[in-house]
Parts: sequence; C-alpha cells; structure tokens
Amino acid sequence: MSSETGVTPVVPAAAPPPAGTTQLERAGAGKVFGHVEALRDVDLTLGSGEVLALVGDNGAGKSTIVKVLSGVYNLDGGEFRIRDHAVNSMSPQMARAQGVATVFQDLALVETLDVTANIFLGQPITRGLVFANRGAMADAAAATLQSLKVRLPSVRVAVGELSGGQRQGVAIARAIHQDTPIVLMDEPTAALGVRETAQIRDMILELKARGKSVILVSHDMGLVFETADRIQVMRLGEVHGVRRTSATDRQEVVGLITGALDPDPRPARGGKA
Amino acid sequence: MSADGQVDPPVAQGTPPAATAVGLATTRVSLRRRLLASPATVLALVILVFVVFGATQTDRFLDALTWINILRNAVFLVIVGVFTTMVLISGGLDLSIGSVFVAGAVSAAAAAHAGLPVPVTLMLGTSAGVAVGLLNGILINYARIPSIIVTLGTLFAVRSIVVAVTQGNSIGPLPIEFTTIGQGELFGIPYLIFYAIFIALIGHVLLQYANLGWSIRAIGGNSDASSRFGIPVRALSTLVYTLSGASAAFAGMLMASRLSSGSPSLGSGFELQVIAAAIIGGTSLSGSIGSIPGTVLGALLLSVLSTGLVLLKVDPSLQNFAVGAILILAAGVDQFRKGRMFRRAITPASAKRPAPGKA
Repeated sequence: MSSETGVTPVVPAAAPPPAGTTQLERAGAGKVFGHVEALRDVDLTLGSGEVLALVGDNGAGKSTIVKVLSGVYNLDGGEFRIRDHAVNSMSPQMARAQGVATVFQDLALVETLDVTANIFLGQPITRGLVFANRGAMADAAAATLQSLKVRLPSVRVAVGELSGGQRQGVAIARAIHQDTPIVLMDEPTAALGVRETAQIRDMILELKARGKSVILVSHDMGLVFETADRIQVMRLGEVHGVRRTSATDRQEVVGLITGALDPDPRPARGGKA
Repeated sequence: MSADGQVDPPVAQGTPPAATAVGLATTRVSLRRRLLASPATVLALVILVFVVFGATQTDRFLDALTWINILRNAVFLVIVGVFTTMVLISGGLDLSIGSVFVAGAVSAAAAAHAGLPVPVTLMLGTSAGVAVGLLNGILINYARIPSIIVTLGTLFAVRSIVVAVTQGNSIGPLPIEFTTIGQGELFGIPYLIFYAIFIALIGHVLLQYANLGWSIRAIGGNSDASSRFGIPVRALSTLVYTLSGASAAFAGMLMASRLSSGSPSLGSGFELQVIAAAIIGGTSLSGSIGSIPGTVLGALLLSVLSTGLVLLKVDPSLQNFAVGAILILAAGVDQFRKGRMFRRAITPASAKRPAPGKA
C-alpha cells in the first residue's frame, strides 16, 4: 500500500491519512450556487493508497466536492492542492493532467458507441496522427476490463446494450485506464443490485491494492465500511466529522449524517485540530 | 499494448485467465455479421428488387444511358449528403443547404460569367458556403440557438439575398472552361460521378477510420460526456456545419456548370431530399448513428425511384408519395432497431439479469 508516485509530504489534518503521503488536500473550500452555499469551509485530505468515503445526506455537498475536484465546477473560495500543486480552478482535462480521474454519477458514457470507444473517449490511440487505431484500443480496453474482472460479451458492443453493472464497470475501467494516482467515484452503486455492488466493491479494493487513492461518495454504508480507510461525514455543506473506519461504527456515522450527534469542533483555520 | 501494465499486484493476476471476462477473440466482428446488421444491406436489396421488377416491365431499365442518368442525378444528393450525414451524426440538423446550394451556384455563375479564371470561381463559390456554414455553426454552438431555428433562418435569409441580388434572373451563358467541370465525360462517364465517388470515399474514411469521425459520433451521442473528456465539442460541431455549407455550395456550382447557368430558383427543397437520403440510409435524427455508404445508397434509391417511376409510367405527381412513404418506413425501421438495441439498462430488473458473457 506504499506510494509509488512522487508526492508531497504529509500535511497534518483533523484525522491524518493512514500511510504514505498526501495525494490531495483542500482547505477552506467554498462553493455557492445562487443563494445556496453548497460548500462552506470544507477541508479534505487524501493519502496515497487510501480510500476516503464521503458520506452525508442529500444536499450535504458530496457531489459538489466531486465536481470541483474533477474540474466540472470551479471553487468560489479557498483552494486545494493536488500533489503539491495549488489549484483553484481547472477544466476536466486539467484535472486529469493533475492526476484525477473521475467516475461520474451519470457515468458520462456514450450509449451509441461501443465499449472501446467509450474507454478511449477523447484520448484515442492514434495511427499516423489522423487515424484511430481501433485494434490496439480494443485490445487495451479488453485487457483493462479483464484485469478488473468486468464481464462483457465483447468490447465491441454498444454501451447502450449493457446492464447497469456492466456500464459502471466500463466507467470505472475508463478511469483506471487513465492511470492517474487519484480516482473519484460518485455513487458507483446507486443503481445496482447486490451482486453487482459486490463487484464494484472488489474493484475499489483492487484500486487500493494498486496504490491508487480513492474518494468514494456513497450512501451505501455496507460498501463504505467494507472499503474505506477513513469516513468523512458532510452535512449541509460542512464537514461534520472525520473518522477512521476501524475506530467507528455505523451508528456513530449515521448519527453524524443525520445531525443526531454534534459536529466535531472545527480546527482553527491554518492550524490543527 | 499494455495499458495498465504499470502496477499489477497479485490480486489481479491470481485469477485464472479470462475464463469469465471479456474475450479478446470476440473483439473483431466478422465482415459477414456487420454486413447483415447494416441498414445499407437492406437498402441495396430494396434497390435491387425495384430494378429487377422494373426490368421485367421495360427494357430501358437495363440501358447504360439510363443508369448514367440515375447516377448523375444522385451525384448532388451524395456530395451534400456525405456532410449532411456528418451533421446529423454530430447531433445537429442543417436545413440551410438548399439555399447555400443556390448561393454557390449563383455566385460561381456570376464569377464565371464575369470572366474570372476557374480556380477563382470555384473558390468564390465555395467560400459563400463556408461563410453560411460557419455562421450556422457559431450561432448554434456559441449563441446556443437550436440548430433547426438557425438553419431554417439561414434557409430563408440566404435565398432571399440570392433572389434580391440576381433580381430573379438566371446568370448565363457561362464560359466553356467552367461548364466542362459539370458536363465533361471520361470514357463516357460524366466527371460528376467521379467527384461524388471521391467525396464519398473521403467522407467514409473520415467518419469510420479517423479520430475526427469518432469524435463526431461521440458528440452526437453524448455531448456533455464528450466535453468532460476533452473533446472540443463546440469547435468540432462548428467545423461540421462549415463543411456542410462548403459541400452544398460546391454542389451548387457543379449544378450551375452542368446547366450552363446559375438560376436563383435552383435547389429549392433540395435540403429535404438530402436529409431524406441520409435518413433512408440509416442515419439517425437523434445523432451518433449513420454511415456514408448508407447515405450513398439512400441517394441512389431516391434517384432510381424518380427515374424508374417515370419509366414505369407512374403519374409523376405520385412520385413524392413513394419518397414520403419510404422515408417514414426508414425512420420507423431505425426506431425499431434502436429500441431493440438500447434497452433501458439501469433498472433493478436488468441488474439481476445473468451476465451476457455466458449467453
């Protein structure tokens, strides 16, 4: 689980990441939609090879965090650092260049195109600059899917023909194919059945075994407790508490989510807890 | 190609190879299966049946001159249809092509009539189309006005300009250097047919084998996802509209050259014929799906019909009935195919379905 990427030294946070170095860190981040303050003074730290679960009720700001980190939204205040680069606004391409790949909640797949074309969406293997090397892409796509144990009839079927779990597998394979140190996953099991959820769990553990850092947004407490190293609870756009998975239980996390438990004392800006 | 060869912990490799997952052997679909699944095959059969039937009624169906006529009529539909297909695949719609067609015809005719050299004439005519196409693309992609509105607007506006400038008069006669382009022949085959073959080939390669083509399909399928993955959606769509305009003006010039005059009434209703050819050829109005061979065959079917029905002595006023019926039929078939192909997969029912890998 040690990190193999050259990254920044550990930065202390409310609950320091378990091992290795900080992959991603943000301080005092804010995001406003019209009158709604979607994120307020949010801190977040992610270590190498760590799975951090972001949980919270609807409207807690989880998906907003994912969209900011993946470059879809820009922050209105604060900044974040990815592997020691300060960022306060970026495009999706810049996010990828900075080492962040995202599995979006809506999956962002093109249903009319086949699995290969989706995995290489926007970044094809080319032949002679102009032409798409479909054979090489199909082989590489098949290899990635195989390594994730995603079951598909072929990499040449249109994504529109696949089941929900298979589509999720394709979206995850695409994120992995980008080979970035950080993978964001927004509600990867929201639409899935029990068996397919178990597959996604295995994929997350597989990512972790490969030394990737994962941020997992999920309502599925079972999945969260099976995969996460730390759990960060969001409530109404603020951080309500951060816990090591090994040092907490569902009851406490649910209490933090619903507000039955009081939030942790907030760290002084620029200081420590 | 080892794309994920960087870190492979034991977890990934401890499993028996590929018993369950994607089979590499299935990554290449056989030509026979692809042909059978293609709407172009159906279309080719329909044309064949019609021709065979026609041949039993009158010998003229088998006359080489009849076929040269049919092909020559299809040329204009093909040249513009290639790019209309790209517009439709990109998720757009270009209704302005009939007016751009006449703008190209009239401006090239005016230039040729004024004695300008042929290359300059061709450049002037094409740039009229590029200008309108670029305007369409910018209004649609950057001002975010729906494509049907923008191109309907330019359809009216451009023809109005053409009529106003020409005062409704045809421009002619045109010099022989210019008319040769559309009237010349090689071994008895009109140049026009060679142009169409050349453009269709380029279009097919672009759409099927180039990254550009895959990107065009991607933006037509899901423009939001495409843009999140770095495809320059707006620029690409603008390029496609620009090419569409250029091709329409180019086809208009060829028509002026063929007829030895530039008439401001040319190309009226042409946009609908071209779109019909593309849709009959299996291009989907909802984007991403379609092919150049399909459009070529669609254009051929329209052309075979219009000539064939005359040969069969069908009342000319009923010809468009056939076209309309075929168009609706083609769109219905497209809908049926898509319905079978793309079931709504994210439902609890489908989540329990056994993995198709075993089927």
